[in-house]
Amino acid sequence: MNLAVLYLLLVKATLTSFSGLASLPVVRNDFVVRRQVLTDRQLNAAVAAGRIGPGPLGIYVVSVGYLVDGAPGAVAGWLAMITPAFLIIPMLRFLGARAEQPRARAVARAVLFAGAGLMASAAVPLARDAIANPLSLAILVVSFMLIAAARIDSLWVMLGAALIGLIAFRF
Amino acid sequence: MARPRITALTRLFARVGVTVFGGGDPTIAILQREFYRRDWLTPEKFAIAFGLARLTPGTNVLAFCAAAGWYILGLGGALAAVLAITIPASVLVVWLTRAYDLTAHNRVALSVANALLAAAVGTMIGAAVLLVRTQCKPGRWLRPVAISTGAFLLAFVVRLSPLPVIGIAALVGFFWVET
Repeated sequence: MNLAVLYLLLVKATLTSFSGLASLPVVRNDFVVRRQVLTDRQLNAAVAAGRIGPGPLGIYVVSVGYLVDGAPGAVAGWLAMITPAFLIIPMLRFLGARAEQPRARAVARAVLFAGAGLMASAAVPLARDAIANPLSLAILVVSFMLIAAARIDSLWVMLGAALIGLIAFRF
Repeated sequence: MARPRITALTRLFARVGVTVFGGGDPTIAILQREFYRRDWLTPEKFAIAFGLARLTPGTNVLAFCAAAGWYILGLGGALAAVLAITIPASVLVVWLTRAYDLTAHNRVALSVANALLAAAVGTMIGAAVLLVRTQCKPGRWLRPVAISTGAFLLAFVVRLSPLPVIGIAALVGFFWVET
C-alpha cells in the first residue's frame, strides 16, 4: 500500500475519534473489510501490543502501520497518531487570557473531574476482562493502592506484576 | 513557575512515555504529579490543558502533552513533549507487535501478559483517584467528588458517550463556580 494512502487512512481514523481505541471501527473497516490488507487476527495483535506496552492506547495505529508496510508503515502510523494533537495549540491561543477567568477555570476543572469519572468507567469493562483468577484480582487491587495511596511510580508496579506473573507460572 | 531546559522537558516526557502503562489517563495523572513536583505548571493551566485535550480529536493524552509543553516552553516545548512521549513508546510497541506474534501461544508469556493487564487496570483506577485527589483542597471536596461520580454514573449506568458527559460537566462547571 502506498505510504501516503496509509497515512491518510490512519489520520482519517484518528481525526474522527476522541480517544485512543475509538478509532478502531474506522481502522477495521478500511484495512480489514474494504482493502483487506490486514486480518482480524493481525488487528487484534496490534491492539494487544498497544495495551500491553506503555503509552497511550491509540499507539496501536503504529502497530497497524507496521503490519501493513513494515518500518515505513510504522512511521506513517506514528505521524497519523501525533498529527491531531497539535490542533490544541490554536485552541489554547484562542483562549489566551480568557482561560484565567474564574468561570473558565471552573469549567476546565469540572471537565477534569468528569475525565476522572470517565477513566473509572472505562476501567470497569477492562477489569472484567483482566480478572481471570484470584491472583489477577489481587494484582489489580494492590496496583490500585500503590498508585492511589502510596503514589509509587507505575514502572515499579508493572515490573512487580510481571515478576508475579512469571513466578505464578512456575506454580 | 520554573522554566526548565528543553532537554529536561524531553527527558521527563520520554521517561513517562516508556514507564507508564494503562493508557493515556494514568500518563496524565503521573505527569500532573511530576509537573507539580517541579513547579512547571499551575493547577489552573493543568486543568485547561486537560479539559481542551478531551475536546481535541485523536489521542487525548498527546493533545494534553502538546498543550502542557506549549504552556511550559512554547511551540518547541509542544513539539519536544509530543515527540519524546511517542517515539520511544512507538519503537517499543513495534517490538511488542513482533513479540506478540511469536509468543501468542507461549504459556509463560501469557501468564506475564495477564498479570500486566491486571496491573494496568489497577493503575488506571488509581490514576483516576489520584487525578481528583490532587485537585481537592481542604474542605472543598464536594464539587470534585460530585462531578467525577456523576460522570462515572452517566458513562457507566446511562451509557452516555464521553463527549456529552464532558459537555454536561462543562455546563455544571459553568454554573457551579467555586467561591
